[in-house]
Amino acid sequence: MRSPRKVDARSKINGSHKFIDDYIFPDMIYGYLYYARCHHGYIRKITFPEEFDLKNFIIIDYKDIPGRNIVPEPEPDQPFLVENEVYHYGQIIMGIAHPNKAILKQFVEKIEIEYEELTALTDIKECLEDESNAFGREIIIDQRQSLEPRSEWIKTSAVYYTAHQEQAYLETQGMIAIYNQDQRSIYVLGTMQCPYFVKEAVEMIMGDKITEVVIETAEGIGGAFGGKEDFPNILAGVASLLAYKAEKPVKIVLERSDDIVITTKRHPSRVEIETYTDPVTNKIRKLKIDYRLDAGGYLTLSPVVLSRGVLHSFGGYNIRDVFIHGRLLRSNTPSNGAFRGFGAPQAFFAIESHIDKIAGDLKIDPLELRMKNILQKDDRMPTTQIIREDHILDCLNRVIEKSDYKQKYIEFQEYNQHHDNKKGIGISICFHGGGYTGNGEKVLQSKVKMTIEKDAAVNIYVANTDMGQGAHTTLAQMVSETLDHPLNKTRVVIPNTSKTPNSGPTVASRTIYIIGNLLCDLSLQIKKEIQGNLDEYVRSHNTLFPKEYSRCFTPDPTVVFDDKTYLGTGYKDYSWAACVCEVFYQTSIFKLDLKKIWTVLDIGIPVNPKIAEGQVEGGLLQAMGYALTEYFYKPDFGRMHGFTDYILPTTLDTPEMDIEFIHTDSDFAKGLGEIPMNYPAPAIRNAFHHATGIFIDEIPLTPERIYENIKGKS
Amino acid sequence: MKISFNINGRNVKLDVDPMRRLLDVLRDDLELTDIKESCGEGECGACTIILDDKPVTSCILNAVHADGKKILTANGISKTRIGEILLDCFDQTNSVQCGFCFPGFYVTAYHYLITDGEPSLEKIRYALSGNICRCTGYKKIFESVIMACERLQEGS
Repeated sequence: MRSPRKVDARSKINGSHKFIDDYIFPDMIYGYLYYARCHHGYIRKITFPEEFDLKNFIIIDYKDIPGRNIVPEPEPDQPFLVENEVYHYGQIIMGIAHPNKAILKQFVEKIEIEYEELTALTDIKECLEDESNAFGREIIIDQRQSLEPRSEWIKTSAVYYTAHQEQAYLETQGMIAIYNQDQRSIYVLGTMQCPYFVKEAVEMIMGDKITEVVIETAEGIGGAFGGKEDFPNILAGVASLLAYKAEKPVKIVLERSDDIVITTKRHPSRVEIETYTDPVTNKIRKLKIDYRLDAGGYLTLSPVVLSRGVLHSFGGYNIRDVFIHGRLLRSNTPSNGAFRGFGAPQAFFAIESHIDKIAGDLKIDPLELRMKNILQKDDRMPTTQIIREDHILDCLNRVIEKSDYKQKYIEFQEYNQHHDNKKGIGISICFHGGGYTGNGEKVLQSKVKMTIEKDAAVNIYVANTDMGQGAHTTLAQMVSETLDHPLNKTRVVIPNTSKTPNSGPTVASRTIYIIGNLLCDLSLQIKKEIQGNLDEYVRSHNTLFPKEYSRCFTPDPTVVFDDKTYLGTGYKDYSWAACVCEVFYQTSIFKLDLKKIWTVLDIGIPVNPKIAEGQVEGGLLQAMGYALTEYFYKPDFGRMHGFTDYILPTTLDTPEMDIEFIHTDSDFAKGLGEIPMNYPAPAIRNAFHHATGIFIDEIPLTPERIYENIKGKS
Repeated sequence: MKISFNINGRNVKLDVDPMRRLLDVLRDDLELTDIKESCGEGECGACTIILDDKPVTSCILNAVHADGKKILTANGISKTRIGEILLDCFDQTNSVQCGFCFPGFYVTAYHYLITDGEPSLEKIRYALSGNICRCTGYKKIFESVIMACERLQEGS
């Protein structure tokens, strides 16, 4: 395992790397997404400011759409532009463009819209409590074993809540669209995770007015974390239509204060868990989960987030009698979408908090309860999938040893008896399925392509973008190592749909695990053909080159998943992790700080250990923000401003981190991107519980929330 | 209003609305796209420049603030000896992820190197606290700056 340097680091540091806002095209004009300032209602009247000459502006609304007013991916239920009824604050009504950014801004600030307001549901808790808001798909996993609870079994039930979380990619959303009248084509350059989703969106909105759409990503993508999975579809659609009407290149780059209001966030959740535990054996005998997510105004990605959430909701435990009910609810807030973890952080917050609650009821150390129930070799998940190794047990044992958990658990209890400020330590364990859920990868049929040039340069064509995760370095490294070819002659070409095949979206921890391993298969095939050194082979067979190679994903026929019962192999391979968090609580100001986090992960073989570590470090800190500070304290996002009132972790908040990779079975790279986000939040919550004896069923644990809990209970 | 300043060693004279954001003048008029805009309200540090001898966020300054001053940006820093050492340390640790915040971190860390330069984790955490990164968890950024401090101490 080597950690070569990243291919794009130097240009990113000195600022010469180009992000979408750094591109300028001749005659380019600037666009703006004009959005609703109403939670629910009908548009009655739009008044443009009189002091501007409307002829100088390009303005489009739904009536200008030549194709269909429906965003095709992921769930086709959301319009590009409001037709009549506004369903949530921040919904896009018009696209407006002008050659001068400053004039455009003055103009849009003075537009007035009269709404006929309708009843709106913006209180998320209210939305999640009321089952009549159920919306779209429902999932049931029924593995009840007709087991009657015995009278001596301990019943533990609780409801857990998590809030919205903002991806807060440092680069806001942005696209440039260019219409070519002669070729009737549209070219879109932008910051995105899924070029082929964007392509479908532009084709849908433009209909038969164009014959070709080409999507390319900017050289740099300034972070995404899921936030650039589906919103770019709308943005690219509107930018394309503006460019078509203007017959000029149109650039739309959102300001932060708009981005935070109108783009997708992590789904708020309400998860109710009921368990029965045998106090003699400390075995959990029955588990019932009611898992609910607030989808927001439209379904979009929510059904697939729900799938993943439900398939992770039972946690890493061997429980035979299980009933899980997963539902989506609808509110008048922006549609929630993808964010690193994708339903799993909500699931693990609930189950891992609940394990500590049961331990409290049984009056035992939460570690002991976990050890008694943890998934081990040959155990079955509630979906009937059999676990082949002691993955999660090995992670837990190692992290307990490294963190000196057992000693500290007792020591801190002692310390807390004699001090006003408190120390606490908490555990969580988790897993994350790599790739699309269930039969998803079979349906996607991802394709990859490589070309070998006359000078033996290897070009890799995949639709997966490098949004900071280092994918283009890691993928090139995988090919270079498999082919025994220098890394500086192996590179990933910036995704462009006119030459890059559809290797699926850059999501679901699938880039290295699915696409990287597919590229390794293709490299092995090439290696077999050349039988030796690639440079020499190309030199001696020069007339054969340049040559193109490609390969399509072949699903493993033994992997079977039933979409109706949700039984079978939810994911072919899982990554596993355990962590211990140490916290310090300042009683007088209700402030909780994470001091140190130890984590041990099984992600198979990390390709580039430093890049892998960086992924974990960043994920842990995002999870800490989720647990402690990140919160939309106003249900009306419209009054949130950006980074002044949405509190992201800074250098001063960063805890000590101790990260270790172990590997239990697979000799290849498994999913990594998302798992570090899944589990620190409940461990921090559990550590707070250990420190103070106060059981809070909700995050983030802001001083305000802690104060309210203490006040409410006294 | 006519303003003049020196940027990365180059003298510039401009006729601009003095109340325009300095960031816009640098990015749009001078096409210095190594300065990034993220939050637009002075919170995240992506648009950090060194103005005379202080690191400042150019999104909350007006053009007039630059008049008669000396400005250094990431691009200018990368051409200095200390800047090259720092750049190499950031690169060596694989600390860069999406890279959008990095020119800002680079400027602030460079300022720390030339004004203090002690390889102290606590001091570096404090010095960089005006720059937000969403990808890295900061750990490798700290390691890189400590490494640069040590290399400079060895070299001097």
